[in-house]
Amino acid sequence: MTDSSVLRPDLSLVLERITDGFFALDADWRITYINGEACKLLHASDDCVGKAWLDAFPKARGRLFEREYARAMRDQQAVQFIEYSKTANCWFEVKAYPSADGLSVFFRDVTSRIESQREVERNARRQQALIDFGRSALAGLTYEELLEDAVDLIREILGVNVVEILDFDRGDLTFTVRRSIGWGSLAIFDPLNPPVKHLLQTVKTGDPFVCADVRIDPRVRSLAVLENAGMLSSIAVLIGTPQMPMGVIAAYYAQTRTFSISDVRFVESIAQTVAESASATESNRRMVQVLDSIKDAFVAVDRDLCVTYVNARMARFWRRQAGDVVGLPISHFTDQFGDGGAALRNFKLALREERALTYETNFNGRWYESRIYPFAGGVAAYVRDITRRKTEQERMVALNVELERRVAERTAQLELANKELESFSYSVSHDLRAPLRAIDGFSQALLEDYGEAFDDRAKGYLDRVRRAAQRMADLIDALLKLAKVARAPLVLRHVDVSAVAAGIVEELQASEPGRTVEVAVEPGLQAVADPNLVGAVLQNLIGNAWKFTRRAEAPRIEIGRNAAGEFFVRDNGAGFDMTYQNKLFGAFQRLHSTDEYEGTGIGLATVARIIHRHGCSIRAEGAVGAGATLYFTLPSNEDRKPDQ
Amino acid sequence: MSKPYILLVEDNPDDVELTQRAFAKNHIANDVVVLNDGAQACEFLFQSDRGGRGYPQVILLDLKLPKVSGLEVLERIRAFDHTKLVPVVILTSSKQEEDLLEGYRLGVNSYVRKPVDFNEFVEAVRQVGLYWLVLNEPPPGSGGGGM
Repeated sequence: MTDSSVLRPDLSLVLERITDGFFALDADWRITYINGEACKLLHASDDCVGKAWLDAFPKARGRLFEREYARAMRDQQAVQFIEYSKTANCWFEVKAYPSADGLSVFFRDVTSRIESQREVERNARRQQALIDFGRSALAGLTYEELLEDAVDLIREILGVNVVEILDFDRGDLTFTVRRSIGWGSLAIFDPLNPPVKHLLQTVKTGDPFVCADVRIDPRVRSLAVLENAGMLSSIAVLIGTPQMPMGVIAAYYAQTRTFSISDVRFVESIAQTVAESASATESNRRMVQVLDSIKDAFVAVDRDLCVTYVNARMARFWRRQAGDVVGLPISHFTDQFGDGGAALRNFKLALREERALTYETNFNGRWYESRIYPFAGGVAAYVRDITRRKTEQERMVALNVELERRVAERTAQLELANKELESFSYSVSHDLRAPLRAIDGFSQALLEDYGEAFDDRAKGYLDRVRRAAQRMADLIDALLKLAKVARAPLVLRHVDVSAVAAGIVEELQASEPGRTVEVAVEPGLQAVADPNLVGAVLQNLIGNAWKFTRRAEAPRIEIGRNAAGEFFVRDNGAGFDMTYQNKLFGAFQRLHSTDEYEGTGIGLATVARIIHRHGCSIRAEGAVGAGATLYFTLPSNEDRKPDQ
Repeated sequence: MSKPYILLVEDNPDDVELTQRAFAKNHIANDVVVLNDGAQACEFLFQSDRGGRGYPQVILLDLKLPKVSGLEVLERIRAFDHTKLVPVVILTSSKQEEDLLEGYRLGVNSYVRKPVDFNEFVEAVRQVGLYWLVLNEPPPGSGGGGM
């Protein structure tokens, strides 16, 4: 047996040198030895040697230390454990070896190891909490529900007393409490008007506000209010960004506390999720506003054709609340607001072929246009009431039909009028001439049979009767020609105007071989026009020139085309007074007496009508005694294609 | 054998008088049978007995006639076996294209427009008479023929 109370000096030296704490107890739990390291760890001195262990370290009573040492001595088996020492305020890893006369205890401070282990665990729990929180934000939680979760979570994880989320108004730089937890009766200030001056800095810079002890923090006076409210430490982080601050999450703790980096990171993570959810909520709200404001009814369905969203207009059409229909199969509504299955068919088609579709349906006497667009998650449909447009269209169609009917009616009337005019002309040519022939014939008969009964004067009168009858016959013929020019259809051909003019000149020359008229026809004049009518035009114009140059000294007629492209027939004959040029082209308008120059007064009216029928124009220039020039246009190659 | 004669179908008594005067002035002494409308003309031509006359040497036909128009009369003349070869001269005020075309289409032998000037009218009648009654050889076996 060795003396257990006094260790051999060499052993004592060894025990002093080891880095573990060490002490030894005898069978009666009296301390027989304690090394320097143990004294340091346990804040003791070696004068505890000889004392009962529990007297020296009373805080160990009833704890694992006492229980394990007792077990070791009773079972004579070594024990090993880790326990928090209230004496030393740290964690010890303990190994105790029993012997027949006592217990040898080795221990070391493992606080840092335990702490870091606990930190790891705490961080893992926070990470998990953040992940869960993020998931619930995505899972369609409302924004308010999300805020409620956020304050609960922060209070639980950080173990703080109060958590509040404040909205920030960028306009007037004020905060209002959106949601808070934990004040209870502690708040001695208006919870809707909290002390916030210290939060402005956070909003401005985006840096978190961390205060371990409001009593000694020099930064903001408003913190004094917190002290009065029983809160000694605080942490606050920004929701949003300094450019777009939305609000602040603030947490308060009733005791002084140094919040760790991971505490700050945790709250910042929560704040970020809240901010994202807020902006998602905002953009969602904007989209809903847009969809509610459009004139179209809107519905979106997923790939299973269940409603994921309807705007207010569509809900009203279905006579339901927008919120009530989400999740229901679209067929429920398309059947009810029956379009004969067209909607469902087209939804499926759009999904299958991934292309946009538009179709029209009639429901309850109104017309609807549906435009269907497939997207990644399903199909969206815009439905518009197009009844008005449709009615307009139908009205237009009806109007067109009516117009066509009226045109046909007018055409028929015109044809009838034309027929009547024809039969009128026919009557004129027949019936008006017969009496004239009788007047002339019987005047002649009178002269022949009873000539000796008349003196010269009477014979002169009868001559006048006959001349008048002849003139009337000419007028009738001219009128009929004018009517014919107006009615006959235009037949467009290439016309060699120069050749036609030359032919007419030749005829005139032949009819009056005694006259000498100098005539110049510009070669190569071309037009695309009705050849017969162009002939009539030239006949009249050249005929006039021929007629009106009868008294000219050196009569000259020129036919050509000027730089502006106008054809012209120029003479140096009697000419006319420009004052009367507007009368030139009217029927029966004459600027000369029949005695001076014969004529019906129909010629230029006929010419003008022919030119106008070709869509062209005619004008005249002249002066009394200085000749006249008639200018007219005709369609050319460039304007028109001939009929054949 | 009946005497050869001219058939004048004309409703206007003035024109009848003037035409006959023109015949006289031109010394055309042939008988002239005057009928005043198209219906009479048809009745006369298509009856078996024309008062003992054969078919006329030439028919002077006005177009604008009461009841049956001149063109219709012409059409019937050409459709009827016994008359289809009889020379027909349209003598009318009209020079409407349609009338000319239709007249020739229906087989008229000549188309003469009545001039208003009586002297010209006399000349026209002279030429028609000279041509159809003297110069022209009528188709063989036609009712008129010979003297």
